[in-house]
Amino acid sequence: MTRWARIILFTSTLLVPSLDAWGELRFPPPEFESGYQFPQTTTPAARPVVYEYIDAAVLLAALSLATYLILKRRSRRAVYVLMISALLYFGFWRDGCICPIGAIQNVTLTIFDSSYAIPITAGIFFALPLVFTLFVGRTFCGAVCPLGAIQDAVLIHPVAVPGWLESGLRLGAYTYLGAAVLFAAIGNAFVICRYDPFVGFFRLTGNWNVLIIGASLLLIGLFIGRPYCRFLCPYGVLLRHASRLSRWRVTITPNECIQCRLCEGVCPFGAIREPTGDWPRGEYKIAKRRLALFLLLLPVLVVAAGWGGYTLKERLARVHPRVRTAERVYLEETGKVEGTTDASNAFRATGRTSEELYQEATAIRERFALGGALLGGFLGLVAGGKLVTLSVRRRRTDYEADRASCFACGRCYQYCPKERERWKQGKEAVAGR
Amino acid sequence: MTQATEQTRSHDSDVRYRTVRNTAAVAAVFTAIFTALLVINLIGSGVVGPWRENRLAAMKLQVQKEPANQELVAQVRQLDLKIRRDRIWRLDFARKATFMLLGSVVVLLVAGGIAGKMKNELPRPQHQPDVGEMQMNEAKRARLAVVGALAVLVLGGLLVAMSGWVRFVQAEDSGPAFATAEEMRQQWPRFRGPGGAGISAYANIPTQWNGKTDEGILWKSKVPLPGRNSPVVWKDRIFLSGADPNNRQVYCFDATNGQLLWTCDVPTVPLPKDKELNIMEDTGYAPSTVATDGRRVYAIFPTGDVAGFDFHGRRLWHKNLGLPDNSYGYASSLETHEKLVLIQYDQGDGTEGKSRFIALDGQSGKVAWEAKRETPNSWTTPIVVDVAGQSQLITVAKPFVIAYNPATGAELWRAECVGGDVAPSAIHAGGLIIAIEPYSQVVAVKPTGQGNVTKTHVAWRMEDSGPDICSPASDGKYVYTLESGGLLLCCNVEDGKKLYEMDLKEECRASPGIVGGKLYLLDMKGIMHIVQIGPEYRETAKCELGEECFASPAFADGRIYLRGTEYLYCIGKAP
Repeated sequence: MTRWARIILFTSTLLVPSLDAWGELRFPPPEFESGYQFPQTTTPAARPVVYEYIDAAVLLAALSLATYLILKRRSRRAVYVLMISALLYFGFWRDGCICPIGAIQNVTLTIFDSSYAIPITAGIFFALPLVFTLFVGRTFCGAVCPLGAIQDAVLIHPVAVPGWLESGLRLGAYTYLGAAVLFAAIGNAFVICRYDPFVGFFRLTGNWNVLIIGASLLLIGLFIGRPYCRFLCPYGVLLRHASRLSRWRVTITPNECIQCRLCEGVCPFGAIREPTGDWPRGEYKIAKRRLALFLLLLPVLVVAAGWGGYTLKERLARVHPRVRTAERVYLEETGKVEGTTDASNAFRATGRTSEELYQEATAIRERFALGGALLGGFLGLVAGGKLVTLSVRRRRTDYEADRASCFACGRCYQYCPKERERWKQGKEAVAGR
Repeated sequence: MTQATEQTRSHDSDVRYRTVRNTAAVAAVFTAIFTALLVINLIGSGVVGPWRENRLAAMKLQVQKEPANQELVAQVRQLDLKIRRDRIWRLDFARKATFMLLGSVVVLLVAGGIAGKMKNELPRPQHQPDVGEMQMNEAKRARLAVVGALAVLVLGGLLVAMSGWVRFVQAEDSGPAFATAEEMRQQWPRFRGPGGAGISAYANIPTQWNGKTDEGILWKSKVPLPGRNSPVVWKDRIFLSGADPNNRQVYCFDATNGQLLWTCDVPTVPLPKDKELNIMEDTGYAPSTVATDGRRVYAIFPTGDVAGFDFHGRRLWHKNLGLPDNSYGYASSLETHEKLVLIQYDQGDGTEGKSRFIALDGQSGKVAWEAKRETPNSWTTPIVVDVAGQSQLITVAKPFVIAYNPATGAELWRAECVGGDVAPSAIHAGGLIIAIEPYSQVVAVKPTGQGNVTKTHVAWRMEDSGPDICSPASDGKYVYTLESGGLLLCCNVEDGKKLYEMDLKEECRASPGIVGGKLYLLDMKGIMHIVQIGPEYRETAKCELGEECFASPAFADGRIYLRGTEYLYCIGKAP
């Protein structure tokens, strides 16, 4: 049997249980009048505002505690306990809402829509982790974020992702951030919330497609540490850059690196950077020319990607429900589709003319022209900027946690002999007292 | 510092091998999970489903034995719902899981294949670079990865660009919202052309053709659905409608080559349970001719559905006026006045208050004005005429000829002078409104009065003719009437004095048209009798189309458009 025949046989055998997937749904009509009475629509009472302030207070306390545990106490165990507590509170108890990641959209909408007033808690949730990160690094990611916590909790067999691959994959988070800001600003859509992969687990219900995405991320997360945080999280992008400026941060060793290499490769998130070696002979001149080339390429990339985003304005605008409704109504009215949808029926019930709807949709598309250009330009800038930074050689003499990538989980502490020495001294000091 | 060392490389120390191996392992786990889920789902569908259905069937049998057992009925409903939900859920799940399984298998096969190949490679001594060189290579690969990610983004953008979007084609609303009176006179915007008079603005109309040999036929195009309405022409567009019991459509043909430019469906509403669409075969499902104001085109159907479209085939609005109570099927055509669509909606026997005249705003379809009428169902088409600089909307229905102000719907005058089931429409000729009482008489009314003018403004009555379908035509000096049996009668406009009558000996449904000094009479066989205008009958030509015709001809610059039972014909000389 040839190799291809084996492959086809193997695949076909696996697909046998899926044969019924291609069946048609043919139901006989019900044989009786159901007499079903639609229940009256009820709206649950709004959550008391006081709980929102409690949430903000809990966030502040958790961030403060995380900072203490990570930077002062340097205890992975305590950080883990705090992380699970945050997962239970912000994840399962508060149903994953509100979170700083989604708050990006609230802040964006506040900037672009004067009729929208951001809830104060959303503002606090957006700003607090950023402020903490500016001073002490990504302690929010390591110990407070429920999305990070659920992935961290399932990481059982870490597999290292090559550093070069991570550089490419990280572009996903920038794309997500750019798209989320654009759609929140113009598209009237909160895509971060709609496609939050873990909220379905927190609420124990949710959209089937999103649950599949979440389950897939968790399955991948068994081996690849925090895939969402590293390659998709839009808030992580902001925290990465804020963390670069942080005054204090995680250090693998409590005092002096002895170059023992014991911490090499222990970070499941690939955030430990090794000391740099010398330039290979002749490389310096090539590197200079490369850097100059990428610096020249940067504006070209920005303009080209911006133009690309501009040309997609009509397609991008379809994320806006008004544009989708207008397109549907137009297709119905020109006889290009049969039947109506709930959205087109609801529009007609408003009594407005379709001309008004088309004009509104056209205006939204025009806003997406600028938005698409900005999104494209942003992505071009990110990609070009990465090519530039990857062409710059930095000097490192010690093993250290990367300021941007380190989640401040505290895993690396236990691998450092100097840290162990510190624990030992601490225990002896306690015993001697 | 650089000091290359030679050492043997094991597979496990190769990060690429580890990556593909682990990828294959993860894909294998996914494959196993989705396969297991699909098997469980299949077992559920094959075992639990039929078991529940058998139980449901047994319970239904039991319900037949115990129809009063409400508890059992409730159980049947619950189980039925459960089965339906279960089927939908399982099918949905199976489809999604199959795609996931396929994806996992592809990854497994690709990664497994690569891992297998790499493992089969014999370990070989390799140059071990120093730290600096390794970091340089790492940076190089990272740059390539960024370029790769950018390429993926570009690819994604291309995929998005390939997805469709809808261009909102704007209606030709630039300038005034309707065509000027002069523009209207140059076109054929409604049933029987400008003012419903049947008079062409052009004299260069063909007088010789033969549909059987294609002589003089510029093109002919099949009309998708049947209809007895007549073509309407606006510049290079020809509009008409067609319908069957289930579909109502409006068509736009390209006048240059007969290509069907667009087709638009007109929806309807479900009929009430106690009503049915009662339409005579002779009337058909699309008897009413469409009308255009030069910016939009409007259509009405016997179901009471009226709709407006722009010239690109975009439906701007649709209304259902309620199923008309009409003994043969509603057949009045539309008229326009400026941007108003004028609808004579006569129904019932005239005593139930059902009849009304409706004016809709052509841009939005909203009701501009509405006037109650005490007339029974009629089949005439209203006309808007100019009387001493004022527009008058003239309607004919037993027993009145009524004139309204077309802008406001205010009644101007009425004359009680017609009876019967009126189908021929009125014309304005020689300063008179010429109306017809079928099988009885032709009546001329002076349109200069106010209020009830029955006793004061009826100029003459001529009782030698009374067509039941075809509308009259007049050049301003003579009036021509054509009975459905083919009897043509000519009389003076001034006093109604009969000048001659001639039996064409053919059944006729189309109303006559006047071009220059000639009268065009189309019989049902599709033969056009061209007769010289004058006090005596003189036939100058007879042209055959070769297809049965019910619709009236439409005249344009150098062309005649004829609708047969199946085809639309353009007769004229090639440019």
